[in-house]
Amino acid sequence: MKDYFKKKEVDPIIESLCRDLNPITIMLITKQGTVISESGDTQSINTTAMAALTAGMFSATREVAKMVGEQQFSILLQQGEKRHIHISLVTEDAMMIIVFEDYRRIGMVRVEAKRAGTKLIEIANREKQRERTANSTSRNGSLSSSGARGKIGETTGKDEKISTPEFKEYALNLIDQIFVTKQQE
Amino acid sequence: MPYISYDKKEISFKIVYYGPGMSGKTTNLMQIHRSLAENLRGEMVSLDTEEERTLFFDFFPLDLGRISGYAVKFNLYTIPGQVYYEASRKLMLEGADGVVFVADSNPHRFDRNVSAYEMMIDNLASYSVDPRAFPIVLQYNKRDCQGAIEKGSLEQAISMDVPSINAVATEGKGVMETIRTISKMIIEGFEI
Repeated sequence: MKDYFKKKEVDPIIESLCRDLNPITIMLITKQGTVISESGDTQSINTTAMAALTAGMFSATREVAKMVGEQQFSILLQQGEKRHIHISLVTEDAMMIIVFEDYRRIGMVRVEAKRAGTKLIEIANREKQRERTANSTSRNGSLSSSGARGKIGETTGKDEKISTPEFKEYALNLIDQIFVTKQQE
Repeated sequence: MPYISYDKKEISFKIVYYGPGMSGKTTNLMQIHRSLAENLRGEMVSLDTEEERTLFFDFFPLDLGRISGYAVKFNLYTIPGQVYYEASRKLMLEGADGVVFVADSNPHRFDRNVSAYEMMIDNLASYSVDPRAFPIVLQYNKRDCQGAIEKGSLEQAISMDVPSINAVATEGKGVMETIRTISKMIIEGFEI
């Protein structure tokens, strides 16, 4: 999956939303359950597990939506006694989670989440456009730095380039070291 | 296709443990989790029903380490094995980079293995994944059961040739070999 959210562009939006809403936590995650950006109290909450579970929950909700003739539900709200979770679909691949306490602020949460979501969509669209342009350039000869195949490291400078054979060799080596059977130890 | 973040310098792969109910998918994950060094593994999330069967899924993230500045991660999931959780099973396969099919070697469960495998192939196909060009490892679990099915019999029944490994997951046998094999297949097929 291609990441269309540049951290340096996304983080300020999430942080600004966090200042406006004063929630417990805000997270932007992929539909695969990976955290893109997070703000607020991220120490007391296991954000990795929460992202995985929320992504699963959203997938399940999408299937429920289809059953009632909707393509998907764009907002999910979980109301607890003290804490509540507002989950909104930002793009096809990303969703925003807001954990907050004062339920009277739900209206504000919705409005501000939507406002931030619009900004995030603009970022994703801009990145997709950039990728399309880069792809058409690469078809004309040179390899794009952000081509659709996602060349690792090429978007962020020469120093971070890695070659596929080298990557694979290191990764395979690490796998051998980590997944050791008892007999091998 | 893995999730690649150039900004966070992170590559995440998704490995799903698939198989019929009570075949030992969660046991596999628990054994892996137990065997790994603490700095490599995240917390294991397990959502069990009262009968200790997986209702939704089990999950834990695993940090492989840094390669050329990129943090490489494997996110391990199980699917609910029970037939009535078909919808959840399909969802868990979305975005998977590889699958371990945990088969039950009990001869009375042979048909369940076959139908679960066929269902998995259908589910993968619904995500436009060609199962013949997709990393799949077949684990023959519960090899210690009486009259265990013959290794190779499942491949024959499903007409697919995939790497297979014998295991007794409760004792940790074959568990690491399985995760090692699927991880390597994923990395070897990774296009960057």
